[in-house]
Amino acid sequence: MEFFDCNASYGVFSVPPNKRADTVDDLVNEMKWCGIQRAMVRHAAMVDESPIVGNPLLVKQIKDYANLEPSWAILPPQTRELGTVDQLISSMGENGVKALWAYPSEHKYLLNDTTFGELFEEMIARGIPLFVQRSIGSGGLQGWAVVESVLKDFPKLTMALVGHGSWGEDRYFRPMIERYENLYLDTSRYELDGGIADFCGTYGPDRMLFGTNFPNTPMGGPMLTLMHADISDDEKEAVAGGNLRRILAGVKL
Amino acid sequence: MKNPSEITKEFVEKGLSEKCPVIDTHTHFGPGTGIYFPKLTAEQMIDTMDRCGVKFMISAPHMALVDTDRGNMQTAELMAKYPDRFRGYWGVNPNYPDRIERDVARYEEFSGFVGFKFLSDYHKIAITDSRYAPVLEYANERKLPILMHTWGNSAFDGPALVERVAQKYPDVTILMGHSGFGQWDKSIQVARDCPGVYLELTAAYSVRGAIEAMVEGAGSEKITFGTDLPWFDPHYGIGCVLFARISEEDRHNILHRNAERLFGV
Repeated sequence: MEFFDCNASYGVFSVPPNKRADTVDDLVNEMKWCGIQRAMVRHAAMVDESPIVGNPLLVKQIKDYANLEPSWAILPPQTRELGTVDQLISSMGENGVKALWAYPSEHKYLLNDTTFGELFEEMIARGIPLFVQRSIGSGGLQGWAVVESVLKDFPKLTMALVGHGSWGEDRYFRPMIERYENLYLDTSRYELDGGIADFCGTYGPDRMLFGTNFPNTPMGGPMLTLMHADISDDEKEAVAGGNLRRILAGVKL
Repeated sequence: MKNPSEITKEFVEKGLSEKCPVIDTHTHFGPGTGIYFPKLTAEQMIDTMDRCGVKFMISAPHMALVDTDRGNMQTAELMAKYPDRFRGYWGVNPNYPDRIERDVARYEEFSGFVGFKFLSDYHKIAITDSRYAPVLEYANERKLPILMHTWGNSAFDGPALVERVAQKYPDVTILMGHSGFGQWDKSIQVARDCPGVYLELTAAYSVRGAIEAMVEGAGSEKITFGTDLPWFDPHYGIGCVLFARISEEDRHNILHRNAERLFGV
């Protein structure tokens, strides 16, 4: 079974995690310690400095690591900081970037049709996934309410929320899983006893992505949980890495 | 996997370890407010225990932390039905002080209870409040454990308050549930300096580096394992312990030895 982590980052954060992971080697060494083969990563500078800095820095720092996939943060196309939508897509193609992240409260924009309509339509057409963290805030909305507001306008958008709270959020996300066919969850904080098996039993294994939330959370917890979840080996393969590989393989740049 | 731990390899391969059983010192059962539980019956919890190699659980149902009269009887029934798998904490709700004297008087009527459970952050009454005194005095006289929900910087059960209670009642064994989450340095200092205070890992294990800091600062002899089951899959917390940079002896201490010593199971 190949573990392909969809939710890992490293770098110097404004507020560092309890145990720092300043360099890409800190991340890679932890992956080796735990036996996690691949990761889609992001750099602290993408959030805490600017995507203008962090996006290219990430690509430069991981270029020699074949098991690390880059992902980038977005900004409103109207400010042209990352270029026009066409230029951003072109740059993603040149740098092998197949997934995007949004940090609306940190970067001070609204994650909505007015700001990102053109980009989201392009992402839908090209199968590019948009990842957000559970802590997301936009226009007075938080967390799942932001996801709902985006998917109401763009129901075909491939969207993943990672790090959903460990204290029980099924009542929030299950209605959206049923309504929006391209919505995904990660497993990094899905600690609920029997949660993975219950979710897969209801919705199948194709909507869940393995994640670790590194460097905030130990990799061993979500890894051992999935290894021994009460689901079939094929279902574990899908969650551990198959689903993320499928999503990224479907991206057309 | 570069982690050389034999216990870890066994858990990775089989989901449990013959040589390193697990004792869960912080569990509940039954429906709880604000969460959907796929597995909440005693039988479902035993299924989880068997999958994860959990030998014993010390439990207080959610109800015992609200309506103690009904909830503690649930615990008594559970222990009578499955005496080889469960022990109980007697739940205390200080918002009903008229019940506390009666709770203490009734504690010994039922076999299987091994201590008390406080949930002060939720009850909004600080652990230093006089309403807890009958329980603390009783536990102090009999050297009983109390599992206290503790959270960093809480005005109700932060680690500095735990320290004051431990100094006043030195013979109580205090398990700091969640290890005073977030206020790690203070919690570790309290566990190190107060002989009767232990760090309990529920949720705390999910903060990378926290386990290593506790082992280094307080010693693995002062840490117990817990999951809040049916909230959290034991494999999640066990995985955090197994892949922490600690010794094999530390893993044994945390996952079972300390609880065996404290609870006689």
